Amino acid sequence: MHLATMFNSNLAVILLILATPLLMTLTPSPLKNWAIRVKTAIQTAFFASLFQLSLFLTQGLHTTTTSWHWMKISTFNISLSFKFDFYSIIFIPVALYVSWSILEFALWYMHADPRMDQFFKYLLVFLITMIILVTANNLYQLFIGWEGVSIMSFLLISWWYGRADANTAALQAVIYNRVGDIGLILSMTWFVMNLNTWEIEQTFSFLNDTPTTLPLLGLILAATGKSAQFGLHPWLTAAMEGPTPVSALLHSSTMVVAGIFLLIRFHPLIAQNPTALTICLCLGALSTMFAATCALTQNDLKKIVAFSTSSQLGLMMVTIGLNQPQLAFLHICTHAFFKAMLFLCSGSIIHDFKDEQDIRKLGHVHALLPFTSACMVVGSLALTGMPFLSGFFSKDAIIEAMNTSYLNAWALTLTLLATSFTAVYNFRITFYALMNFPRCIFLPPPKEDYSPVRNPIKRLAWGSILAGFLITLNCPKTETPILTMPMTLKLSALLVTILGLLSAMWLKTLMNKLPNKSPASNTMTQKSKIPMDNPAKIIFNFSNLTGYIPTIMHRMAPKANLTMGQLMATQLMDQTWLEISLPKGITSSQLPLTKLTSDIPRGMVMTYLTTFIFTTLLSTLLLILTQPDLPILT
Amino acid sequence: MNPYVLMILISSLGIGTTLTFMSSHWLLAWMGLEINTLAIIPLMAQQHHPRAVEATTKYFLTQATAAAMILFASTTNAWMTGEWNIQQLSHSPSTTLVTFALALKIGLAPMHFWMPEVMQGLDLTTGLIMATWQKLAPFAIIYQISSTTNPTLLTTLGILSTLVGGWGGLNQTQLRKILAYSSIAHMGWMIIILQFMPKLTLLNLMIYIIMTSAMFMMFKYNNATKINYLTLTWSKSPVLATLTMPMLLSLGGLPPLTGFMPKWLILQELTKQNLAITASIMALATLLSLFFYLRLCYAMTLTLSPNTTNTSSTWRIKSPQMTMPLATISTLTIMLLPITPTIFSLIM
Repeated sequence: MHLATMFNSNLAVILLILATPLLMTLTPSPLKNWAIRVKTAIQTAFFASLFQLSLFLTQGLHTTTTSWHWMKISTFNISLSFKFDFYSIIFIPVALYVSWSILEFALWYMHADPRMDQFFKYLLVFLITMIILVTANNLYQLFIGWEGVSIMSFLLISWWYGRADANTAALQAVIYNRVGDIGLILSMTWFVMNLNTWEIEQTFSFLNDTPTTLPLLGLILAATGKSAQFGLHPWLTAAMEGPTPVSALLHSSTMVVAGIFLLIRFHPLIAQNPTALTICLCLGALSTMFAATCALTQNDLKKIVAFSTSSQLGLMMVTIGLNQPQLAFLHICTHAFFKAMLFLCSGSIIHDFKDEQDIRKLGHVHALLPFTSACMVVGSLALTGMPFLSGFFSKDAIIEAMNTSYLNAWALTLTLLATSFTAVYNFRITFYALMNFPRCIFLPPPKEDYSPVRNPIKRLAWGSILAGFLITLNCPKTETPILTMPMTLKLSALLVTILGLLSAMWLKTLMNKLPNKSPASNTMTQKSKIPMDNPAKIIFNFSNLTGYIPTIMHRMAPKANLTMGQLMATQLMDQTWLEISLPKGITSSQLPLTKLTSDIPRGMVMTYLTTFIFTTLLSTLLLILTQPDLPILT
Repeated sequence: MNPYVLMILISSLGIGTTLTFMSSHWLLAWMGLEINTLAIIPLMAQQHHPRAVEATTKYFLTQATAAAMILFASTTNAWMTGEWNIQQLSHSPSTTLVTFALALKIGLAPMHFWMPEVMQGLDLTTGLIMATWQKLAPFAIIYQISSTTNPTLLTTLGILSTLVGGWGGLNQTQLRKILAYSSIAHMGWMIIILQFMPKLTLLNLMIYIIMTSAMFMMFKYNNATKINYLTLTWSKSPVLATLTMPMLLSLGGLPPLTGFMPKWLILQELTKQNLAITASIMALATLLSLFFYLRLCYAMTLTLSPNTTNTSSTWRIKSPQMTMPLATISTLTIMLLPITPTIFSLIM
């Protein structure tokens, strides 16, 4: 049988399976218990996707694309085009596997929610749009997935819409993503205007001498918004206001990796443009460093994990900048497993400790929830790049590629520093939340022996351990890696991580001497006082208040805008235009003239005749003066 | 007044104007003007109250001055050029003198001062004649001398009249004075276009007469002489109160009513002559007039008077006044705009 047809039909089957629970909603008498059906659909779709994965791996196929005519606008064709290559075929099973686990976990986590069925459908649509995004070979299709993911993230983050924080976070997600969309739409417009095509494949072949910096900048902006790179990053950590399964899905295999995925898809273009590469490299390095710094002093369990996601996304961006899209993709896949697992473990802990997510109040979890704690440690180790866990295969390769390249030393330094910070904040979670003695009351005692808790985490733990190895094994190498290097260079990733760990352990002994308390105010509503006496305090405040960026971007900028708006509305519009210059201005300018006009006559014939005589004389005089040769009397 | 005398006076009024229409000789035209003036004097002073007598005296003095000036200027012209024909007014000082004399006669700013005060002293019927019929004879002459007059002079007179008409009306509560200022503003529009397209002057005069007659008749029907009388219009004649609003807006020159037609054509002509600034000034000056028309609208139709009527159903009693002319002329005031092309081709 023809291979391409099999891939197509397989994708069709997957999408059909996924869409079934949604379509069934339309029946006149909808069935109950959608949540389980949705989970089962995703599970089935995962097994169905294994078929095309195995086909791909055994047949050694490179790429298959479909091109079905969709619509035609004047001379511009839009086709329904799917692309099956290494990226999409590996990504779909990974996404389905992770989502399956997350949804099963959500069955337990969200069981008390009255709108649980709707929640599951939202998650399902979220997943479907992501699959549309990764299989798209056409910018229009990709855009549909891209926007679908944005909208669903908005709905999911604001799931607990009664909370002001959740609404704010959802709005942040939407607004920051719209900024990114400006970039994507700019690039799409550029492609239409200059190349007359939205087919990604075709854009590569048309580019011989056209300068591509502008569309690439647009794509990088799009990726910055979606993948929360420095500058547009605050929404990612704010998104923690959503339910934990949402955070897990959003941060592991969907949404946030879409930006990186877009750049991977457009890699052939980026590879030819050194400016774009440098921008990616520096932006990624800055993002990873900044997020890791912020993660160091956070006290919210989920927020630390979220900042670690942000940091890992920065690392993926660095990899794009290194011209290694395959490594970036590898990191996306391995990251999906352990990050989803970390979130599920956090969710389990939070749920069991009655919604307590401050790590200073947790503690002793390893004795109460041994399985969850063990998996959390596995996830942390995978994240830090412990050899032969799945994080190692991608992260170590990235650092190695970086060390052996001749690129920006500044970016290299920042990335290495961020890598060592990974060990620090993971140690911090482990030390505060899992070890020591309990610091809060927990009644009834937490339990973790429910199958919807254990099974998903267990599956993801297997993924965190094995996925890197399996994917690396099957990953076709397109570029020859540098095989010889000094020992220190080869071990640098491990060395900096161990260094970070050791310093964190040392700092732990100094714990009581550190200025480890919240800054004068931790909220955005009050002005944060920056004590200038102690440099350690300054750094601590910078990290704890996430670089003052929320204060600057969410407080000062809107305040300035609103103040300006208020001034414009009240002073410029209301008081000046609508008051002084128009009604009052007209009154004050016309009133004297009106009074003059009514006051002059005074009912006297003398006035009438005097004005007549004077006007006549004056005009005649003017006439004579202007025409000196006029014959007056002859 | 004795009906025979009245008949003689009214026919003289007609004959005087007709005589001016017919004549191409300055003396005959002057004679027509004088007959016309002398015929209306007794009509104005019909009621022997001091206000009417004062108005009559003022009118007589101004009109006599103007007529004397016309006679003087035409004689000078005849002396200088030996030509009595009206259209041959080639001596420019004479032209200027005649222009000002006629401006005084029709009440153009700054020779307009007599107009509101005379109008205020008359009853509404005589005021109607004053505002309409009395304009015809001077305009017959103005139309004939239009080719020789000084353009700067005409533009100045036109703009000034429109402005003064607007400003003067803003401060008034007396309806006859408001109509007098409205008349001054309209005269400004007629004069400004005289040098470019005299036919439009006539068109504007015609429409002006229709609209002003409608307003005077309406006021007459309601016996209204002040703004606050208008607030009771609804109790006397609700339909008329409703119709008066478009009539007033037509007077202010708003589309799609009759009054928009001359303003539209004049502005178009001015623009064609590359006088965009003049056109803008005229259009903006008309906003002043529009303001007091709107004030009348407000008083009449948009608000209810706080006072009560003693009889509940005045509008049920059939009025002894003739309503047919009012009905006809108010229809014309409101609805002529669609047949603009016909009217335009008629006068061209």
